[in-house]
Amino acid sequence: LQVFDAEGKDVTPRPLSHSDPSAAARRQSKLVPFSSYLGPVGLDFLSSFSTHQVSGANTSSASFSGTISNASTTESILDEIVEAGSQRDTAVNLPDVQVRPEEMKEELTKEDLDKRVDIYLTETETLWIFDMSSVMVSVEAEDAGRVQERNKIYTDICKNRPGNDRFVEKTMQTINGAAKNKEVQCDKIIMEDKGVVVTSWDLYDSFNILEIKPASKAEGSRATTGKSSKSHPTKEQHQTTSVSSDRGSTTSMTISESAVVARSHEEEECHSEAVLTSQNLQRDLFFMERILMENIFQPKLAAYRQFPVLLDPNIPSDTSGAVAAVKEAQQEEPHEEKGEEEQEEALIDASILSDLTKTPEERVPPSLEHLWSYLCNVTRAHSVSSMAWSKVNPDLLAVGYGPFDFKQKKKGLVCCWSLKNPMWPERIFRCKHGVTALDFSLRSPNLLAVGTYNGSVAVYNVRSRKDAAIMDSSQSLNKHTGPIWQLRWVEQASGETEDGKRERLICMSADGRITEWFLQKRLDCTDLMKIQQTKSEKKKLPSEKESKSKDLIPQQAAGMCFDFHPKDSDFYLTGTDEGHIHKCSCSSNEQFVKTYRGHKGPVYKVAWNPFSTDIFLSCSADWSINLWHQDSQTPILTLSSVTAFVHDIMWSPKSACIFAAANESRTEVWDLSVSTLSPVISRSAGPQVMFTSVLFAANTDCLLVGDSEGEVGVFELQNLAASHSNAVRATR
Amino acid sequence: AEVEETLKRIQSHKGVIATMVINAEGIPVRTTLDNSTTVQYAGLLHQLTTKARSAVRDLDPQNDLTFLRIRSKKHEIMVAPDKEYLLIVVQNPCE
Repeated sequence: LQVFDAEGKDVTPRPLSHSDPSAAARRQSKLVPFSSYLGPVGLDFLSSFSTHQVSGANTSSASFSGTISNASTTESILDEIVEAGSQRDTAVNLPDVQVRPEEMKEELTKEDLDKRVDIYLTETETLWIFDMSSVMVSVEAEDAGRVQERNKIYTDICKNRPGNDRFVEKTMQTINGAAKNKEVQCDKIIMEDKGVVVTSWDLYDSFNILEIKPASKAEGSRATTGKSSKSHPTKEQHQTTSVSSDRGSTTSMTISESAVVARSHEEEECHSEAVLTSQNLQRDLFFMERILMENIFQPKLAAYRQFPVLLDPNIPSDTSGAVAAVKEAQQEEPHEEKGEEEQEEALIDASILSDLTKTPEERVPPSLEHLWSYLCNVTRAHSVSSMAWSKVNPDLLAVGYGPFDFKQKKKGLVCCWSLKNPMWPERIFRCKHGVTALDFSLRSPNLLAVGTYNGSVAVYNVRSRKDAAIMDSSQSLNKHTGPIWQLRWVEQASGETEDGKRERLICMSADGRITEWFLQKRLDCTDLMKIQQTKSEKKKLPSEKESKSKDLIPQQAAGMCFDFHPKDSDFYLTGTDEGHIHKCSCSSNEQFVKTYRGHKGPVYKVAWNPFSTDIFLSCSADWSINLWHQDSQTPILTLSSVTAFVHDIMWSPKSACIFAAANESRTEVWDLSVSTLSPVISRSAGPQVMFTSVLFAANTDCLLVGDSEGEVGVFELQNLAASHSNAVRATR
Repeated sequence: AEVEETLKRIQSHKGVIATMVINAEGIPVRTTLDNSTTVQYAGLLHQLTTKARSAVRDLDPQNDLTFLRIRSKKHEIMVAPDKEYLLIVVQNPCE
């Protein structure tokens, strides 16, 4: 029998006495084979108990069989010592069956650590150490009668004993066996205390992982939970690694945990750069940028939303008295989708409105206050040509950029701006030619139709980030040959096959045609499809001399703009570059219903008044804005303020008498109920900057003005007494 | 590429004092501060994020922390935590 310890030294215990070969004493021992021992884990096993050898003569015949069993890490070995034939000096007896405790000194390989170790807890067989049968018998047992009789006989004997001759008392001495103490030493059982703060999410996580991998046993899953739980990555795991390097009976639990952890530790080291490419980081950066914007622009955005502007109490320049303490509630925007069309809410929580003291009412003249500008370095060189709000999301704005002076062949650009990020557009689409008109669809709010300088119409899907249009008219046979000055999605009751409203895309271009475009197949078709033009081409505008037949196109007038009647979508107005405005009907494509003459230059824009629908407004390059009634051939009112082309006009969506106009050097807001001679508000542009377009915001009192430097300024209309009257202004 | 662009834009915004991306071990991947300060931020904010996440999930285990903002007298620290990284931006919002 040889026993080695961890370093390989021979620590075989030497026997205390030599066994007597002739002695009949025999040692009964049992050899129990190695029971399930834990796989690849290196356990040093030191069998250090020495055998109890019986000294020569005196043998106590008590045979002793006992085994020591430990719960799951049991190895019990009893050596069988067979008496050798001769007594030897060398104290080594080679047993027949030699069981050498093996040194498992394998290196722990990575796969071994990964291996799932199954630990089976089983009951060992019952080892009887002592059996003493009971001497009590129940009264109701079968041989109760016999036992009772014997008991009775016994008590009789005892009673008779004292004076009886038959019983004699005699003492004797017995031999006491010499007892010897033997000490056994075992390895120190190392105990480790491990504590975990159990939180309800930890339990939830472990439960969920159990569900995911139902095959693993409970212990195995606990080991994996140890890896995946959100405990502190650095400290505790290092502790368990140090534990496992101890020898001794550490539990399998901590070992597998630390083994698993050590592996994941190594994996993470190679992933630090991969962090930058993860999708989550991109999304988080997107939100972070928005939150930064919110912080930067908060007062302006509050003004936009018409909340009272809260001031931060920490800023020393604060003058107003009772100010709310908190600037804004902590806003987390967890699950915003990338498609802005579905976004809802204001960033700013208006919960603290009541605290702000109001400034005293004064007669302050109306003014435009600049809130911010949608501007970035991509758009800087381009000029704004058109703007349109999204039909479903009032915070989403599409702006088309095209060169102001079309002699330069610059590329066009369409940007979708969101209120939540005024410094960088959400989408940038580049077009080959300058963009001259755009509009969002109402039916499918993610479609944006764009008209360009070369006459082609493209439809973009705003949801995607790709730069390409989903549909393009460049290959269409009937496409326009001149720049598209206006396009619009119009909902109309169709007189044709389908009932219900249909939405049509109507474009007007400089080649004099107003066309309706169909999108073949369903509107949400994603293939690259050509747009088929309908056969019912609407218009060929006649020349000024009515005598020419209408089929000839010698002097076709270019159409510059159109507007459908807000109530009756059968009628629409178009303005031409000759200065005429024609009222047309969808039902006839040859004849005008009416012609309005008044302008001396190209009419850039016509607009029906949304409230009093008999009135419309037109602006033109002859420096004037004309107000018309649809029944009269001459304008009711002519407004002119500056000697400059008026590029754009728009009625306010809130009030019947207010409209805004952009002429080259000024933006003006007119209020017809106040004055018809001069605008109520007028704001000049900077040097060399020309205002090109205006747009009212529907949900707030703001005006957007685009200029030739690519900047879309957002202005708040202050102190403008909005008269919500639908009254028609009496003609002069 | 888009990540780099956005990061650059964020860094150049008004009032942004620092921008840091830290990986799961506390090693800064991208940072605009010096290393010792970054490591300090990373360590402290990581602990705070863990605590905050533990609180959120204790209240409802199906919930999880998505964003953390700490407003202090001088500036605002915004943390976007994730399993693999920690995105930290420090901004001084009032000018």
